[in-house]
Amino acid sequence: MAIFEKRPSRALASAVVLAALATATIAGQSRPSGTRAMPRTPWGDPDLQGVWSIATITPFERPGALAGKQVLTEEEAAELEKTNLTTNNQDRRDGAGTDADVARAYNDFWWDRGTKVASTRQTSLVVDPPDGRVPGLTPEGQQRAAARAARGYDSWEDRSLWERCITRGLPMIPGPYNNNYQILQTPGYVVILHEMIHDARIIPLGGQPHVGQNIRQWFGDSRGRWEGETLVVDTTNFSEKANYRGSTDRLHLIERFTRVNADTVKYEFTIDDPTTFTRKWTASIPMSHTDEQIYEYACHEGNYGMVNLLSGARVQEKAADGK
Amino acid sequence: MRPRLRLAIVAAGAAIGLAVLSFAVMPTAGQAPAGGQAPAGYKASRSPFKDGKPDLNGIWQANNTANWDIQGHAARQGPILELGAAFSVPAGLGVVEGDEIPYQPWAAAKKKENAANWLKLDPEIKCYMPGVPRATYMPYPFQIVQTPTHVLMAYEFASASRTIYMNSKDESPADTWMGWSRGRWEGDTLVVEVNAFNGETWFDRAGNFHSDALRVVERFTPVSRDVLQYDVTIEDPKVFTRPWKMSMPLYRRIEKNAQLLEYKCVEFVEELMYGHLRKKTK
Amino acid sequence: MRILLSALVVLSLCATAPVRAHHAFAAEFDAKKPIKLEGTVTKVEWINPHAWIHIDVKRSDGTVEKWMIEGGTPNTLFRRGVNKNSLPAGTVIIVDGYQAKDGTLKGNGRDITFPDGRKLFIGSTGTGAPGDPQQPPPK
Repeated sequence: MAIFEKRPSRALASAVVLAALATATIAGQSRPSGTRAMPRTPWGDPDLQGVWSIATITPFERPGALAGKQVLTEEEAAELEKTNLTTNNQDRRDGAGTDADVARAYNDFWWDRGTKVASTRQTSLVVDPPDGRVPGLTPEGQQRAAARAARGYDSWEDRSLWERCITRGLPMIPGPYNNNYQILQTPGYVVILHEMIHDARIIPLGGQPHVGQNIRQWFGDSRGRWEGETLVVDTTNFSEKANYRGSTDRLHLIERFTRVNADTVKYEFTIDDPTTFTRKWTASIPMSHTDEQIYEYACHEGNYGMVNLLSGARVQEKAADGK
Repeated sequence: MRPRLRLAIVAAGAAIGLAVLSFAVMPTAGQAPAGGQAPAGYKASRSPFKDGKPDLNGIWQANNTANWDIQGHAARQGPILELGAAFSVPAGLGVVEGDEIPYQPWAAAKKKENAANWLKLDPEIKCYMPGVPRATYMPYPFQIVQTPTHVLMAYEFASASRTIYMNSKDESPADTWMGWSRGRWEGDTLVVEVNAFNGETWFDRAGNFHSDALRVVERFTPVSRDVLQYDVTIEDPKVFTRPWKMSMPLYRRIEKNAQLLEYKCVEFVEELMYGHLRKKTK
Repeated sequence: MRILLSALVVLSLCATAPVRAHHAFAAEFDAKKPIKLEGTVTKVEWINPHAWIHIDVKRSDGTVEKWMIEGGTPNTLFRRGVNKNSLPAGTVIIVDGYQAKDGTLKGNGRDITFPDGRKLFIGSTGTGAPGDPQQPPPK
């Protein structure tokens, strides 16, 4: 190129560099085909940005009928997806007039349970222990679980954090709706926006120490670092109220995010809580790219459900007392 | 004179001249620069996305009493006797340009009613999302995470947040608490237009309010390494007779390892909101 | 193989839901108090996880009852192209559901349709109608 024949002016050199970086930036933010190199941010970190859905019909734990089977065949996966459309369709009205029909709650168009198995065709989201089941609870853990199961409708404190519109917390688990997450990155932070219940999870990457032991949070305290292509997030300082499947403030959560292709981020989390589970365990959930976006999730601002739950229980108690 | 010495004197002269120039346009201490003008010569560092835009990333916080009352006000007694001086209203110079909020007559009366029934009516008390611009000047830090396509502002209060869609024409599907934000750059100023409010939020604890016709235009301008100038224009034809403005600096939280912590206040207000429905123990 | 997969589907139904019911609908609404209402929409609260549709129901004696009907997550609908203009005030809808246990004029919108039988927001499901989320992929 002619510009290199003599000493280039500073301005021209900057323009060339800027143009090259602009191209790199655009490439970094587009969705490359599977054969190209993994996308990178302009400062060279793996690029996890985008909106991702974790909706899937793959069950969390491996069903007994599939014991020993780690992966479905393509035919089995297709069959499951087809059958799921009818069995999981909320428009079915068999059992009208029963609690089961009330529990299905609404027409199918309101739900987002997913229609596909995980692209890996794994038979469960739990991948360790190898039987695909959550390990047993410690005696302490069992006691706490029994106490929780016994709670009813006396007070909002008896209800789940979701019904109270407090948080859905961590880790990220597929549910019947709002399975969408948005990831944004800067050199110092990775941010994961949880649509439900409007949480902006900000993960510092700068090697800062965790906050002091006396600070306990619903989302704990997270620190992230890059290990090759994988973002490893270490979270401690959970409040004991955070209660993931019964976990306590001893929960140590380790998450790994790896972009495996243009359309998929592999999300793996390990639960380490010796006060609750008899061993560490891990689940692996694919996050699928979506062109959709995150919307506001105003929950507490209109939590008629809590009022209805509690007043309904009070009315029933009165009726039972024969007053 | 030796060439190097001459060069040194010229350079020194230029530096002094430049410094004098900077001081000349520096705003008087205590006065917000009008219209978000950065002092001549200040240029913020650029975004790591290399798009040529200023880098607004960081943790920021307003430092005034606007959340109590956006207009100029003297100190006054708080609503809870037992909290005494710990929770009475501190004075403030006000952040409203001209110190006047141009309410329509019906709305001026409604504002007075709001102020008189503050404990019952202020959505902040129930830990409801505070809306924009109130979220900016509540007494908690907020964090800006900036990419070319999305600028996130995450607030500590109630874990509220909003995403500013850059250079977007998308519309909100429904009315919301935090509004729908669309942004663009004008030079080094981030200009944000916010609409699709549901009309449920207030501007402060003094009862200043709006309707679902609210439209907000914000301007964030870096004026020094650790200060953003924040100017907001409020427009609501259902409530006000004309648009009006607020203006204030936002200060960077420069502590080492500064981070947002949680203020998930829902659990602090459940007793207040649902206590009457709790099962009475005999 | 078929039996195995049916079992898998049944088990997956149980396994995908969180360990405790995410929301005790049966605690809010009474299976023994079914309702079928025809009403005119006055307002929609597009909040999560339940939208609330306010309707005026005219009784045979001429009185107007103001009901609140609980729906699902509006964000799911927004992603399908629905917005606040999709259910404007004045629209007539039929609600087939259950009344609140506390006896107030609230119900869950178990099945919401237009008077002509079409499902709200989306056309009838399962028939491959445009916008039908249950439409199986073309073979």
